[in-house]
Amino acid sequence: MSRWIAPAAAVALLAAVSVGVIVAAQAPEPTSAERADAIARELRCPDCQGLSVADSPTLPAAEIRRQIDEQLAAGASPDEVRAHFVARYGEWILLAPSSPVVWVVPLAVVVVAGAGMIVWLARRRPPAPPAARPDEVLRHRLHDEAEALDA
Amino acid sequence: MIPTLGHVAVLIGLGLSLYAVVAYVLAARGADRRLAESARQAVIGSFLAAFAGCVAMVISLLSHDFSVLYVAENNATTTPPFISAISLWAALEGSILFWTLLATGWAALVLHRLRDRHRALMPWAGATLATVNLFFFAVMTWPGNPFTLTSPVAAEGLGPNALLQNHPFMALHPPLLYLGYTGLAVPFAFGVAALVTRRLDDEWLRIVRRWTLIPWIFLTLGIVAGAWWSYEVLGWGGYWAWDPVENAALLPWLTATAFVHSSMVAERRGGLRIWTSALVIATFVLTLVGTFLTRSGVVASVHSFTQSAIGPWFLAAILVALGGALTLLVWRIPDLVGGGRPSALLSRESAFLFNNVLFLGLTFAVLFGTLLPLLVQATSGDTISVGAPWFNAVNAPIFLALLFLMGVGPALPWGAASWTTLRERFAAPVLVAGVVAVLAFALGLRDVASLLTLALAALVATILGDEFLRGARARSRRRGEAAPTAAWRLATRNRRRYGGYTVHFGVLVMAVAVAISSGLSSDVTATVVPGEVVRIGAYELRLERLVVEPLRDDPRVIETRAELSVSGPQGGELATALRDYPNSAAAIATPAVRTTLGEDLYVTLLASDAATGAVTLHLFVNPLVVWIWIGGAIIGIGSTFAIWPARRAVPVLAPQVRRAVEPKPTTPSVERA
Amino acid sequence: MTPKGLRWLLVPLLVVPLGWLLFTGFGRDPREVASPLIGKPAPDWTLTTLDGEALSSADLAGRPYVLNFWASWCIPACVDEHPVLASAHDRHGDDLLMIGVLYQDAPADAEGFLAHYGDAGYPHVIDDGGRLAIEYGVTGPPETFFVDADGIVRDKQFGPLTDELMADRLGAILGAASR
Repeated sequence: MSRWIAPAAAVALLAAVSVGVIVAAQAPEPTSAERADAIARELRCPDCQGLSVADSPTLPAAEIRRQIDEQLAAGASPDEVRAHFVARYGEWILLAPSSPVVWVVPLAVVVVAGAGMIVWLARRRPPAPPAARPDEVLRHRLHDEAEALDA
Repeated sequence: MIPTLGHVAVLIGLGLSLYAVVAYVLAARGADRRLAESARQAVIGSFLAAFAGCVAMVISLLSHDFSVLYVAENNATTTPPFISAISLWAALEGSILFWTLLATGWAALVLHRLRDRHRALMPWAGATLATVNLFFFAVMTWPGNPFTLTSPVAAEGLGPNALLQNHPFMALHPPLLYLGYTGLAVPFAFGVAALVTRRLDDEWLRIVRRWTLIPWIFLTLGIVAGAWWSYEVLGWGGYWAWDPVENAALLPWLTATAFVHSSMVAERRGGLRIWTSALVIATFVLTLVGTFLTRSGVVASVHSFTQSAIGPWFLAAILVALGGALTLLVWRIPDLVGGGRPSALLSRESAFLFNNVLFLGLTFAVLFGTLLPLLVQATSGDTISVGAPWFNAVNAPIFLALLFLMGVGPALPWGAASWTTLRERFAAPVLVAGVVAVLAFALGLRDVASLLTLALAALVATILGDEFLRGARARSRRRGEAAPTAAWRLATRNRRRYGGYTVHFGVLVMAVAVAISSGLSSDVTATVVPGEVVRIGAYELRLERLVVEPLRDDPRVIETRAELSVSGPQGGELATALRDYPNSAAAIATPAVRTTLGEDLYVTLLASDAATGAVTLHLFVNPLVVWIWIGGAIIGIGSTFAIWPARRAVPVLAPQVRRAVEPKPTTPSVERA
Repeated sequence: MTPKGLRWLLVPLLVVPLGWLLFTGFGRDPREVASPLIGKPAPDWTLTTLDGEALSSADLAGRPYVLNFWASWCIPACVDEHPVLASAHDRHGDDLLMIGVLYQDAPADAEGFLAHYGDAGYPHVIDDGGRLAIEYGVTGPPETFFVDADGIVRDKQFGPLTDELMADRLGAILGAASR
């Protein structure tokens, strides 16, 4: 049983990934409604608390959605539509900051910390014998029993 | 009369807390048990004082006593009794009163339960808790007096905030959340005590882990209840918007969860004392930062209170708590370094350590996103927004990595493991994950993050299930028990492990539900007149009529209600409304939510035309949403199971032995025979 | 290798920036948004007044004007600033024009408000559909814009005006003759 599982798993993984890549590559062009929705998700509703124009039920949000549709129909690009509203409200109307730095910082912190952790763990491992020492084994067992009692 | 009594109660609480702080500090330094005893009683007294204050406020609210400013601003003669009572925590000053009740309650509970144990730590822990209570009583005495009187007394009050009257969860979410927040002062108090007395050992770790987990359960349930409430009430079909106040509740939860995991490593192999202390301090400071963000008016949010004089007090408290605790920690660093065996790169320990890296990464990301607008405003004067798109994009990879680790942890043994072990343990789960991903894809799910979530959830579920089954089978074979008995006994004998697995399983359920409900939900906006039909998914809704009338319970509120009949998987009637409250500019949505295990039918009224009877509706079909709340409940059950004390034979000292080892009383007393 | 005392730096390093950052938020309304229109030409518009007449921005050319977005449901802010606007109109009616813009409000309700709190005599236009509010980047009433004689937006008031604030902002469009 165990002999064929690992290769089967590898094959399944490979299949899943390739199917995903193929489909992603063939993804159909977004419809104009989808494009409008995508922009509406990035714009902040002016008189709500943090909701996007797409999610908001208020009148200004409805008007902005109408203007997005109007501008896309007139041939504007998504960037131009966004710039239109930024010119009136400022950067604040964008729900996500446009500066790439802001996007990178948190993930960079995680990556650096993770890499640092790997380095620290790999380095700090002492040249330990392959089997744990007997008193260590006893300590572990004692600990496990205590843990079981301790709940 | 009643408000005055309430105010007096607050002052008594202030005095008792001050006494408790001084008495505990003196008791700690002089090892004086009777002084510590009196300090403990003072803390219990401060709890009773806070209780009396709350009772006074609730009575004032129920009797619509508009001479109290808080009542005049948050209550009206037409407010129903239930709403009046829960308006205790509806606005700033009342919520601080309620907070103080819970904070003193935790302090009294802990100090009472542990009064005969941990003699070295208790006075310092008590002093810390009493200081926290002192702060809140001080806030209620000076900048934020809930019993401030107003004159002349108005005939009618403003009434409660419209959003807070719409749903019974208003009674559930704040208490749960506050129980979590206030309870997290307890591990902090023990952290401070341990740093002062230099006793960061296993005993300390055990206390702090238990007293982190108990409030953690409440905080988790409070956050989930908040999401559920906002889903049912706000009308935009979502449950989490990364609003600053939501983030404020999440931040201490993240560091507390990190602590629970790293404490297990510390217990296993020793060491990590600086790290675990830092996490305990950070958790408490983050509860203060969270409550500051909500109450200071410094950031705009769905339910921030307006800016008031309380803000600077909270800021001072944050800086004192952080500065003081950090100074203590730094001072004791020489005592804390070292100890403990290093972890192997491939081991359960290192999985837990990576878990901490990720949780702290999430904490940093959420804090960064929440405070960035403040930072930009302060430095350049520009106003920017950091909203859901940023938070989702940045946090999703970290969540997925955590999901993966949730499977790696149980699959690896403590101590060093080999790559062969890993490969063996992971083979079947990876296969299952791949199959699930392909299946989901075939069924129409295209979003990459959702597909990954499903695959990883399948991976982890397989590993957890495998662990449990193997353990149950081994036990059943060894002891000859039937399988279900073996399984139950296994779980109850290893509550921490299997409670933890249950919690992780609950997380999986939530993750899958979130992925599916955001990836596969559909919505339709339509304007219909009476008699017209609108379709979504398998449902057909027909507008029967549009009704505009005052609410029966509160005639000042005008409700515009669209009544629809539904045919589809669940036939029947539903009504969705917009309510116009006299003290609110915009109408408040009361969406209709039809919940089944498979999906939610969610209908919001956007606009209506009384003349033609036409309504504009926003309809959603959100699959699997109820499983988010079920997942939350599973987490609550699992964590309660994990910390539930097991029945065991406790060795009892024979009375003469006990007398021999007890310290001699300091004052002569009659010896009991 | 590092001197032992260096670790103490950790405390001020963490506490001071956090304290400063949270402190800067005080005194500011967090919902206030800096306007990108300052220094730019004011948007063009043509709308109907409460009296039923047409009014357009072209009619205002050559004179400074104050555009005040308000609503009858905006209580107490719009109520508080109403007399401020009225007295400014009385004092400077010859030098500048004052226009009220209804923000998401029914004309009947607006007229009721003016009947109750007093009509200062300047025109109010109905912002049908909210387009003008979007052009000006308005997030909620009251917001007031100050446009100079050349049609350039010079200043914006977020929230209700007081007499001091009004005098201050008017200075931007009237020059020395603002008292």
